[in-house]
Amino acid sequence: MDNAGPGPSPRIGQPEVGPAAAERDEAARAAAGDTAAFERLYRSHVGRIHALAARMLSAEEAPEATQDVFVRAWQRLETFRGEAQFGTWLHRVAVNVILTRRAAHGTRRSRFVEGDEVLETLPARTGRSDLGMDFESALAALPGGARQVFVLHDIEGYRHEEIATLLGVTTGTTKAQLHRARMLLRRRLAE
Amino acid sequence: MTPTHDRITDRLSEWLDGGLVPAEHAEVEAHLAGCGDCAAIAEELRAVRTEAARLGPIAPAADLWPGILARIQEESARAVDTGEIEPARATADGARRGRVVRMTRRQPPVWSFTLPRLALAASLLVVLSGGMVWLMLTNGGGRESAVARRQEPGRQEGPAVSGTPAMAAGFDVARYEATISELEQVLVTHRSELDTSTVRVIEQNLATIDRAVEEARRALAADPASRYLNTHLASQLRQKAQLLRQATSLVVPS
Repeated sequence: MDNAGPGPSPRIGQPEVGPAAAERDEAARAAAGDTAAFERLYRSHVGRIHALAARMLSAEEAPEATQDVFVRAWQRLETFRGEAQFGTWLHRVAVNVILTRRAAHGTRRSRFVEGDEVLETLPARTGRSDLGMDFESALAALPGGARQVFVLHDIEGYRHEEIATLLGVTTGTTKAQLHRARMLLRRRLAE
Repeated sequence: MTPTHDRITDRLSEWLDGGLVPAEHAEVEAHLAGCGDCAAIAEELRAVRTEAARLGPIAPAADLWPGILARIQEESARAVDTGEIEPARATADGARRGRVVRMTRRQPPVWSFTLPRLALAASLLVVLSGGMVWLMLTNGGGRESAVARRQEPGRQEGPAVSGTPAMAAGFDVARYEATISELEQVLVTHRSELDTSTVRVIEQNLATIDRAVEEARRALAADPASRYLNTHLASQLRQKAQLLRQATSLVVPS
């Protein structure tokens, strides 16, 4: 599964530290049981994976989900054959883990609110000039389905066909959800 | 908004992403050229997409590596205990026979967890352990294994005797019991730093686990050669150690 199926667009997966070859070497050492090598890979990629988890799930769930991703990656290291960059492979593992987790917890997610009214519950802007923080807050308040698609498409760079396969829906659905997310967010940024 | 505006705005994202067929693309472009409202929406959507592309990594508030390492080590130990993999051996050609976890650095695990999760973990533990032990007892015991010395019946927790079933199964009970003892001392020392509700949850959970451990020991007393029960006892002790680490992390910085 980890080496098959959709993956992020080319701009995704660029190693944050060191060349791709060095990361492949680290992955090979980790696959042989070297936890120090795996820790170095963790340090390089934890920010991106944690961000993905926070945006796809929630800030509260993100630390545990991030741990799940790296434990899963450790378990599946032997399937990383170096054809893609390690970051790309890891990202694919992360999306699978997060979506599985989300599906398992779906019925208990009290924040899964559908409808435009969800943004009305956000606290008033504090006047901070940090647009990034406002955007993250607005993103967190999006309905679950729209947020998933928006994160995967506009932040992580997946194509609609890839997202549709991941989520088990049609591209018509993913396009509608993306548009919905953007329309909700634009209201927030326009305030 | 008129139906025409709605129809146009509904397709603005696809227009923005270049996903419309030429005829539709031209229709939207023509409308935007003459409609300030729709053009403004289009620009706002473009701003959303631009802002999204700028979002970067988010570092976790706490270092997650200790918890990850602990889980990796836990799984490796469990895999060896159950015979899922053999301990790696160095060979002349360097071929790998099993995953070796070289503990180049051992850090005290730090968990990001909540008290409800701690309580749930303990509840699941006692349900699983009680059920498995019941199955073992009603099925007449576990699998045969190498002959091992029998522990004293009703024995309370304490240093393992050399040659006990747990040692025969390849699991060092003494090591885990020593770790548990140390962690319990830490908790006793720092108990006053915890609020009463936290102390209550921790004590309840430990009591739950202790009952599970005692059940496992009683089952072993009836069937000391059972490899499953020895492995089960080891798992209980490991779980207790892990819970104690989680509890002590509340008061002792990692």
